[in-house]
Amino acid sequence: MTKDQSPQPAPLDVRPTRRPLWQRISVVWLVPVLALLVSLGVAYQSYSTQGTLIEISFENASGVTADETVIKYRDVTVGRVKKVIFADGLTDVLVYARLDSTVVPYLDDDATFWVVRPDVSVRGITGLDTVLGGVYIEGNWDTQADVAQTQFVGLEDAPLTRAGQEGSVISLRTRDGSALSEGAPILHKGIQVGYLETPTLSFDGNEVIAEAFINSPYDRRITSTTRFWDTSGFSISLGTGGVSLDVNSIASLIEGGIAFDTVVSGGRPIRPGQLFDIFDDEETARSSLFSNPRRSEEVLELTILFDSSVSGLAVGSEVRFQGIRIGSVSELSAFVVMQDDAQVVRLRTNIAIEPSRLGLGKNASPEDALELITAYVEDGLRARMITGNILSGSLQVELVQVPNAAPETLVADPLTFPIIPTTKSLITDVAATAEGVLDRINELPVEEVMESAIDLMNSIERLTNNNDLRNVPASAIALLDETRNLVSNDDITAVPSELLGAVDDVRQTVAELNTIIAGISDQDVVTKLSTTLDTANAAVANIEEATRNLPAITARVEGIADKLFAVEIDELINNANATLASLDQLIGSDDTAALPTSVSAALDELRLFLGEVRAGGAVENVNAALASASAAAQAIETSVAGLPALSTRATRLVAETEAVIAAYGDRSRFSTETVGTLRDIQAAADAITSLARTIQRNPSSLLTGR
Amino acid sequence: MSNQKVWAWLIAGMIAYIPANTYTMLKTSTLVETSEATIIGGVSELIDYGNIGIALVIFVASVLIPIGKFAAVAYLAISVQRRSVLNQHHRHRMFEIVEFIGRWSMIDVFVVAILSALVQLDGLATINPGIAAFSFALSVIFTMLAAQSFDSRLIWDVDRTKP
Repeated sequence: MTKDQSPQPAPLDVRPTRRPLWQRISVVWLVPVLALLVSLGVAYQSYSTQGTLIEISFENASGVTADETVIKYRDVTVGRVKKVIFADGLTDVLVYARLDSTVVPYLDDDATFWVVRPDVSVRGITGLDTVLGGVYIEGNWDTQADVAQTQFVGLEDAPLTRAGQEGSVISLRTRDGSALSEGAPILHKGIQVGYLETPTLSFDGNEVIAEAFINSPYDRRITSTTRFWDTSGFSISLGTGGVSLDVNSIASLIEGGIAFDTVVSGGRPIRPGQLFDIFDDEETARSSLFSNPRRSEEVLELTILFDSSVSGLAVGSEVRFQGIRIGSVSELSAFVVMQDDAQVVRLRTNIAIEPSRLGLGKNASPEDALELITAYVEDGLRARMITGNILSGSLQVELVQVPNAAPETLVADPLTFPIIPTTKSLITDVAATAEGVLDRINELPVEEVMESAIDLMNSIERLTNNNDLRNVPASAIALLDETRNLVSNDDITAVPSELLGAVDDVRQTVAELNTIIAGISDQDVVTKLSTTLDTANAAVANIEEATRNLPAITARVEGIADKLFAVEIDELINNANATLASLDQLIGSDDTAALPTSVSAALDELRLFLGEVRAGGAVENVNAALASASAAAQAIETSVAGLPALSTRATRLVAETEAVIAAYGDRSRFSTETVGTLRDIQAAADAITSLARTIQRNPSSLLTGR
Repeated sequence: MSNQKVWAWLIAGMIAYIPANTYTMLKTSTLVETSEATIIGGVSELIDYGNIGIALVIFVASVLIPIGKFAAVAYLAISVQRRSVLNQHHRHRMFEIVEFIGRWSMIDVFVVAILSALVQLDGLATINPGIAAFSFALSVIFTMLAAQSFDSRLIWDVDRTKP
């Protein structure tokens, strides 16, 4: 207790129990731990998504601003420019940009970057959004992840071909690059299927080469037989087909353009970057296939040796077969051959024939075509030149089937192509023809003809001025009138029947003559014949004389008729009608029809008779016959001698009758009788007249029977 | 014992303060461009434009005050465990200041919230709060909690236990 001043219990060693650590730590500590975790998580996420820093070097980075300019891929922002600095030596602008880690694996060596700026061209306006929003960097790469890179060289202009674009790249070569411009369209059948990249001059400066990109699937249309040609501007050509004017799209007018077509099927597929030539125009392009056998094995080349000049034929001229174009002229050349120990220049025309156009199908080979042509040539197929265009004088080659051609065969020449035989060319040379025509016109005696014509006209003028001639028409009319009157005269009507009677008499006479002649001896034939003829002549003269009075009689009769006409018009008309009816009957009667036959028969008999006379043995009778004939003729003469008297009497009778008629004009009955009498007289007179005329017209017919 | 909570809240507030400064506070999208501004970036931008006054206000409210609070709370927490240079009166005054300023520290967050709400013109201009705004708000809250969990009596307890 001394130690402890109070007897109090020892102080308790009260110590708080040490609670375990987890009880001593406040729950609040979770908060900073969570905050830390969240922060770290955010930081990690931020770091992991901030992307990769890449470096792009540009020559000109106008408008590119750090932290503002974005990088886009297919118009989606995939990064942002962080820094823009100069490279060492100030050669380039280095742009550092962070790209999303999602695209970074694809940034391999085919990745390209360029600054997008507003661009106005013929084909349109691009990059318009950059006017307001500022430029941006466009990146392009394909979807194949390769070895990723972080350093790139930026392009100055937007490439036309985007990486990963389906299609083929080819190279086009031309000598004149004026038609080519970057981005110029490549057309196929008028549709743009691709475009040109920037044309570049070749190292030696002779050629311009431009890469071209053909979009898929059109690139499959391009084969080794595809031909490209320039379609820029417009072209006018005058060829065998006439004038052709080609104008393409406005864009290709300004910017130029290239068109292509695969002329012949069966070409090989192209390899990337394959070189093609650009031809000046479509025609050249197409014909190039035929002019260059190395480029296409699909044509059959033949040689033609024309004898004549091939002026007017040109490389590319058409080769036609039955009017269809089957190929074209591929080469024109001359070569020297030895002919009769002298050098002769021959002209060689090579033609290229497309087997497919011969109807052999699409996959026909030149060998098939050669076989066909060989067979045709043996059947007469020949080559010839024909006029393609008359105006331009251009020629074409035509393969034509010549009927009955001399047998020839296709000559297989090891040095050249097979030679196809020729035939005569069918050239319409307008100039030559026209010249010939003009020559002939020149040779005409134009001046002489003109002089003669002038003389003739003068004569005609003089003649027509003559008063006599002027009166001719009137006289002619009068003459015709008179003729008509005469013909309509009743006198004429009785002639045929009288003639028939006369002919019968003649026939009887001749029959008598026949009997008389039978007794004629051969003595004094000539003299008697002569006298007979003289007598006949005299008789004929008498008859002539007698008939001379006939007109007078006729005139008288006419006068009487006139008077009668005045007295009894009705009657006369009736009679005239009756007369006309009779005339009709007469003309239609069988007698009239038989007349020629009778005459003919009589004449035949006479001929027969004379034939007998001429025959030997009858000569002695001729004398007697002639004597008899002479006698007969004398008898005729005497009878005819009475004819003038008869005529006179008839005239007198008519005169008397006329007087009587004048006295008894009004008595109808008497008149009727008189008319009947007169008609009889008239008929008699007519008979006499006709007989006389017949005899007068052909006195010798009595004798000769002709 | 009670200092544990202070430290916990304080550390959480400091952690939250880091993204509040590194990340963007405001995302401003106009017709032509999109700009993202951090607190310090915004201050320097304001200074570039010549608005030094506003820049100063933002700098003080967003940088100086939070950092000052961290420092003050941390000092108080340390001072209750060890001897302090300052006497109790000064430290108590410091605590009161920290507590008072705490509620005003959210002014940045208020500004962002108001701007975001007001400037929503489709297409023409929009303002959106960034991660930093959220972090800053958290940071302020954590700091306030730290200040509140500090038992001001401890300032005086130390002297009583060790006279």
